[in-house]
Amino acid sequence: MNPLVSLAALLALASAGLLLALDHDDERSRAWGLMPLLVLAPLSLVIARGQGAPIGWAPLASGLVVALLSRAREDVLHSECALKMLWVLATAFALSWAGLLLMIVVTGSSQPVEQWAALGVGLDPPLLWRMALPLGLLAGIVMVGGAPFHFWSADLLQGSRPWLGPIAVTALQVSGVAWMTQRLDAIHVYPEAASLASSILGIAAGAALLVGGLTLLWQRRPERRIGTLASLHGGLALAMLAAAHVNAGPATDLPPILARWSAHLVIALGGAASLARLVPVPVTGPSHPVALFRRHPWSGAAGLYALASLAGTPGTPGSLVWLDTARLLAASGSTTLLMALGFAWIASFVFAAGQVREAFGVATDPGLRGNPVPLTVRASLWIATIGLAGLGTLVVLGRA
Amino acid sequence: MTEIAAVRDAARIDAPSTRAIPVAKALGVTFALGGFALLWVKQMWTAALGLELFAAAFWLWSRVADDAREQVQRWAWLRRPATAMWFATAAHGVANTLGASPHGVTGGSLGALGHLESLAVIWAALELLAALPVARPYADLPGPLLGVRPWLPAALPAAGFAILWRQREHWMHVATMREVAIVLLIVTAWLGALRAFGRRQWISGLRWLLVSDSALAGVLIALGVVDPASSLLLWASAIGGRAYLLAGELRGAAPRRGQFLSRLWRLAMAVASAALAFPVLIALGTGPGGRARPLYYLAVAVPVMFAAAITTRRHIEAPERRLMVRPRAIFTLGHAMAMLSVLSALLALALAWWRGFEASLASIVLAALPVAIGCGVAMPGRELPLRESARGSARWVFRSVVDLERWLVGAVIRLVQALSAPLRDLHTGDPQEYLLFVIGVAAIALTLPLLR
Repeated sequence: MNPLVSLAALLALASAGLLLALDHDDERSRAWGLMPLLVLAPLSLVIARGQGAPIGWAPLASGLVVALLSRAREDVLHSECALKMLWVLATAFALSWAGLLLMIVVTGSSQPVEQWAALGVGLDPPLLWRMALPLGLLAGIVMVGGAPFHFWSADLLQGSRPWLGPIAVTALQVSGVAWMTQRLDAIHVYPEAASLASSILGIAAGAALLVGGLTLLWQRRPERRIGTLASLHGGLALAMLAAAHVNAGPATDLPPILARWSAHLVIALGGAASLARLVPVPVTGPSHPVALFRRHPWSGAAGLYALASLAGTPGTPGSLVWLDTARLLAASGSTTLLMALGFAWIASFVFAAGQVREAFGVATDPGLRGNPVPLTVRASLWIATIGLAGLGTLVVLGRA
Repeated sequence: MTEIAAVRDAARIDAPSTRAIPVAKALGVTFALGGFALLWVKQMWTAALGLELFAAAFWLWSRVADDAREQVQRWAWLRRPATAMWFATAAHGVANTLGASPHGVTGGSLGALGHLESLAVIWAALELLAALPVARPYADLPGPLLGVRPWLPAALPAAGFAILWRQREHWMHVATMREVAIVLLIVTAWLGALRAFGRRQWISGLRWLLVSDSALAGVLIALGVVDPASSLLLWASAIGGRAYLLAGELRGAAPRRGQFLSRLWRLAMAVASAALAFPVLIALGTGPGGRARPLYYLAVAVPVMFAAAITTRRHIEAPERRLMVRPRAIFTLGHAMAMLSVLSALLALALAWWRGFEASLASIVLAALPVAIGCGVAMPGRELPLRESARGSARWVFRSVVDLERWLVGAVIRLVQALSAPLRDLHTGDPQEYLLFVIGVAAIALTLPLLR
């Protein structure tokens, strides 16, 4: 386990615990209210293990998320979210399993390393493995949340409780990346398959970045916008994987970059998702700031920092993640994907800058301060900011 | 009683905090000055940060203004140049990590990054120079900071020039982009001169002359006929003089008090403007070191002539309305600034000549002609034909061009919205559609590899 990602997952779990304490039912004891932590902890473990997690952890993580969503039966949004996640994930896993089984039939092995070597002999007709490979990757592509599956992350962040959304989204995305990384393990020994995988991932990444960027421009609800930003990060992961498999050689520089990607995502998404619950849906023209920014402007600024980092605003740790992806794409010569990345970055940066201005709005009388925002919510914003500052420092110092 | 309290509360919400105003003003001034200083640093990220601070200053002032909602929306476009500059910085940074300079490379990722970098720098600079649609008429609008409102937009073309000049090595290496920039800047010089001519007030006219002169200075950089130090000095002498006049107009028309001072300033601005246009007109008219472009020469000569005529005609001695006239010093700051403007313009031309810029006698005459005609025709006291109708025509042309540009931009946006509407309608929010999506993508994933 990467210590940086483990620490980030731990911070996210602490932040979720704080928000969970606020969400407890009056009729039950506080200890009972904290029970979901027992499910959130394994999800944090999935994040901490990253690409090293066993392939079976992906369906388990999906099952846990659906189970947590289904738990609040009386909550319409939660139930709807659970149903949607069940539909999309179960179908994706079924199709991917079909692909995996087809590959086993073709190659006679369940180990990806052996499969590519067997294909390299060239005895089997190419039609079968060319069908099996994209099907096998499908579950991973769905789980990272790139377009056209970018709606699930937005739905989850809007529909689920604040303590569940960020960890659930990150756990699923990290599981998706782990799924694809393990499927593509040692694929460079069979260049034809590596080329096909790179093309599929490139198309998926391009669609994720372009459609995600466009969606950000017209979306209004802050929670959904954060969900779209998360899906753009899924697009970044896809772009990294596509770039890494262009050249005939093992993708040795990818694991540390993906570790930084997941560590940043889980911290920044936690802060940004908490903030999104506190800012209003924008109206036409600038309005007055909400209570968080009137009463606790520094905590509001802390939340905005997390959002800015998620959007890749220059100077934040998030910008380094976007820059890492751009470098990989430029080095691999993926010019079209580089353009798509540029567009998505501009869209997310413009959104983040606009959100800062919308949040502070136009000046108003300081006498009207509004109701205080609970301490636990503000603490979750600060946890994200401190975590991101630490992550940025470690990356700049070259320790991560 | 409750209703009265509600009305009072509503009024309090609309009133900006009295404590917040001085803080925002001071912070805005700090940001604006700091941002402007950063524009002159060579690193790209400092220029991007400078533009960001500039945009932040306008936003800070806008949000505490009396008409905050209007001002915030009016100056929101200032974030676009900042975003473009950040993008250029990122493109340059990525290219640098590949271990090579993108400049001069035409193919592959490196070439694409070089083009993107050039495009983004030009975008940032031209938008501030009012050379791109949408934000073009900003010089007509007062700024958000009370007290210097009419003066504030004058700072924007200066910021645009700073980007073009300081970051020249990041955009001039792409010939296509440079050519596009030249055309857009000439159009801006035209529109600026026409708008200055169309406006009745001298202050409004001065703001547009600043835009026009800055655009000409941009053409000078793009042509690359004089060394960078000379182009900077030529721009500073022309723009510095006009900025001083603008500031002076807001302080009781100080540069027009007294016959000698007003004539001195008229001469100073004619010399500074002529000096700025001089190398541009020579390069385009006779093409030393390049090819002559007579159409471009004519296109630049007309706004230069207009600018000279407007300054000569409008910068007249201010009428004295006071009964008790205060004694004036013989040599004031106004005199010093006018002389500084003339001297710096002449020094810049001398420096350009020293560093290799030479011209024949015929080309010198050709370059001096537009300013001479403009000043000669519009000399105060001389009757001008078609005064009001010419001004009305100038207003109509400017308005038509701006309206057409807005319509075109609006049409593009509407087209994008129309094309993207089906994409939006694809998502109804039903859980079933998720299933359809997965099956659809699986079908695509299966068929695409088979088609390879």
